[in-house]
Amino acid sequence: MSGASATQRHWEDAAVGDVLGPLEFPLSVYRLVVAAASNRDFNSIHHNSEFAKASGAPEMYANTSFLQGMWERVLRDYMGLGGTLRKLSGFRMNSFNCAGETVVVKGEVVRTWRDGDNGLAEVRMWSENAGRVSVGPGLATITLPLRGSDA
Amino acid sequence: MEQQESGADAGWMAAWQPVIDRIGTEMGDGEAHYALDRVERALIRRYLEPLEFDCPLHYDAEAARAHGFADVTAPYTAAATFAMQPVWRPGETLFTSAERDAQPARVSVKPRFPDGTPPVTGYFATDIETEYLRPVLAGERLGRRGNRLVACTPKETKVGRGAFVTFETETVDEQGEVVARMRASLFLYNPHPDATAERKA
Repeated sequence: MSGASATQRHWEDAAVGDVLGPLEFPLSVYRLVVAAASNRDFNSIHHNSEFAKASGAPEMYANTSFLQGMWERVLRDYMGLGGTLRKLSGFRMNSFNCAGETVVVKGEVVRTWRDGDNGLAEVRMWSENAGRVSVGPGLATITLPLRGSDA
Repeated sequence: MEQQESGADAGWMAAWQPVIDRIGTEMGDGEAHYALDRVERALIRRYLEPLEFDCPLHYDAEAARAHGFADVTAPYTAAATFAMQPVWRPGETLFTSAERDAQPARVSVKPRFPDGTPPVTGYFATDIETEYLRPVLAGERLGRRGNRLVACTPKETKVGRGAFVTFETETVDEQGEVVARMRASLFLYNPHPDATAERKA
């Protein structure tokens, strides 16, 4: 990317079926430690293999904020700097996203509509890991500027 | 995977009844509990690092101003991070053991379990739903308010026996205005003795 600094997408440009991603997030121990330090989730299951395994997980795994941030980055790439995120729902962590694995975030626009001066879109979002959905699928509600409104 | 329980084995589910009886109640004190640190530019920038999140709104004040903001904004998903309590406070002694996996005396990210929760050794988040009312700017101070228990469902999963417990909380600014509303579910559990399998919600 950064798609977020590219030409602004307007609501009139958004269409059902628009594809977001795929964007890969390889998960090394290093990266998970940086994530814990950045979002302050120091639960040991996210940076300590032995601790995570004792809790029933196969390895240390990505924390919630990190996984949500992956979705936000992909959404921001699509909606540009003029877009806003209104809501994330269905953010369901179905399986662990562990060190040594690669998370792939994908999305698809499933609805667009106007609400007064607001141009909105609903995006189906999910994360895949080893070919299966590890997070979601959920829905993101975003706004995009109307053409001419950001002139 | 969920399993049918019978006889003495069903006792673990009954242990969650005191929590089920509290569904609908506010578990917090109704007050906003603020983070010690303001939302600082450096902390925002660091939030971007593991994500390689290259959005100028979050690190370039000029770009942010060009889009109508007084300063850089935090990523929406960072709101909970910036409302967290500190890992350590002056006067506290947290680290008292050199054991490899020793935990601090107080864990800043540990959620408050509902009154009546049976003893559990593990927990993790499973479902999050968040409504973002506005972006948060550098310089603001955020806090968390409320902790309403809205669901408790005992269940045995691949990682252990416990319950899915759902709370509603608000992230608020210094004026007490809500910037985000979150409904979060946790699985509170005791791992199977030989648990190595992947969790299944």
